[in-house]
Amino acid sequence: MLKKSKLLSAAIFSAATLLAANGQADTMGTPKISAMSIVNGLENPWDMAFTKNGDMFFTEKCKGFSVKTKSGKINKLYGMKGTSGYNSAGDDLFCEGQAGMLGIAVDPNFKKNRRIYVASASTKHHGSGCKDNFDVCNGNIIMRFEVSKDMKSVSNRTDIVNDIQYKPFESDHPFGGPGAHNGNRLRFGPEGYLWATTGDRHKGDIPQHPTLLGGNVLRIDTDGKAHPGNKPPKGFDKRMYTYGHRNVQGIDFRPSDGRAFTAEHGPWHNDEITALVNGGNAGWDPKPNVAGRGNCPDKYCGYMPNQKEGMLPAARAEAGTPMSDERFKDLMPPAWNNNGLSQGTGSAAFLKGSQWGYWEGRLAVGIMGIAFGGTPSGMRIDVIDITKDGKAIKSVIQMPTGLTKRFRGLRLGPDGALYATVDEGEIYKITARK
Amino acid sequence: MRNFVNLFTFALFLVLSNVAVSGDVGEGEKRYAVNCGNCHGPGGMGLASYPKISGKEVSYLIDRLNTYRSGKKIGPNSDLMIMMAKPLTDVEIDNLAAYLATDPAAKR
Repeated sequence: MLKKSKLLSAAIFSAATLLAANGQADTMGTPKISAMSIVNGLENPWDMAFTKNGDMFFTEKCKGFSVKTKSGKINKLYGMKGTSGYNSAGDDLFCEGQAGMLGIAVDPNFKKNRRIYVASASTKHHGSGCKDNFDVCNGNIIMRFEVSKDMKSVSNRTDIVNDIQYKPFESDHPFGGPGAHNGNRLRFGPEGYLWATTGDRHKGDIPQHPTLLGGNVLRIDTDGKAHPGNKPPKGFDKRMYTYGHRNVQGIDFRPSDGRAFTAEHGPWHNDEITALVNGGNAGWDPKPNVAGRGNCPDKYCGYMPNQKEGMLPAARAEAGTPMSDERFKDLMPPAWNNNGLSQGTGSAAFLKGSQWGYWEGRLAVGIMGIAFGGTPSGMRIDVIDITKDGKAIKSVIQMPTGLTKRFRGLRLGPDGALYATVDEGEIYKITARK
Repeated sequence: MRNFVNLFTFALFLVLSNVAVSGDVGEGEKRYAVNCGNCHGPGGMGLASYPKISGKEVSYLIDRLNTYRSGKKIGPNSDLMIMMAKPLTDVEIDNLAAYLATDPAAKR
């Protein structure tokens, strides 16, 4: 099945590439793609969120969040510690390593309640819990704001989740700096609840931990309380929809059935797209002294074995810590594993609208490109056709954007275009036409 | 005699200065394109948690690359740079330093 799907995807990819290159009409319904930079000069733009009118909120990891109004004007709304030019700021908000101001979402009832939601690293709720990397350290939060009618300011900040884990210090790992693995993508689901992704923050016991919020997908209301239908295992925090993740930075909902799918970074092997199951386990467990492993540096086995050298991804996956450990009975198997590679799969958005041709309903996946240990960089957007049961794929096509960028965030706009933040400091609008 | 000493000193200065910037900028750009830009971005502009290296002094860049190549840690993500710097030759390090010292990110 997999071999057949690989052959099929290769054939379709070749056809799509040729058609895009020649700009000719085709009979298959392959959309013509064009990409245009709509904002530049930014510093690490991370995520975007739209009102139904087309106003675009966006975050910059070490600066704050702004809005590009429908008229095209950019208003800098809320900054982080040490920034300038923002209408207001939070002195507790900071960036470090991979952490900072990341995900953003607009309330489905924005027109009425003017609310938006932003995830960031913060010192406000640390308490005395960040003494070392093995301490609790609640350093990632989700804030709710109200936006003024003139779109120039925000007010009434309320921290609706203040106990998501943060890595405070360096550890003995590749990518071992503080601030690692925060997740922090925010999206509203079709039922109107807020979904938030979190990361394992290089703490071995977190992903399978019943109460520490890390390595999870949370499903909460707009006050931060658990969705009453969440079904985590007995004794687990009720805000968890799923657990056992590594670092989820992409989540979206399939238009045909509303099912949630995540895009997740792999540990030098196996990026994953996963169909979520309420209460399910993604199968990441980097604890030492389990599953045949011994001790690991700083009690985290996420890069083992041979963590300081290049190694064939398949061999590392076989000998080290699997992304989806089959010893868990509640495992959610991935639909796609990037052919066993880890290239920074960091965002996902389903394509909606007939302008996308036969890609309509497929998942666009942003890949940043990480080239260690012989892995090809692979900066790109893939378009993935996922089976109805969510357990496999039918094909993968590389979207012919003409761009080689670190695709950090993807979001479908209200106009049906795909928007992308890239680490190079820009936001692109990617349009399709038949 | 004094003139000769001054002339010799000046010539020596020129030679040593030339050593410091002896890398080939074009070759450095080619080597940078192989895999450095995946993390540090176009022209060494710095991306995400990977620092800006465009416009740094030649001596600083050579020292850093030599240090990483020797396997010594000098920062939280050193393991990644050690892995990348290990295969570099002296000439490649000189070339990379020469290229990045021209501040290519500013010319984008």
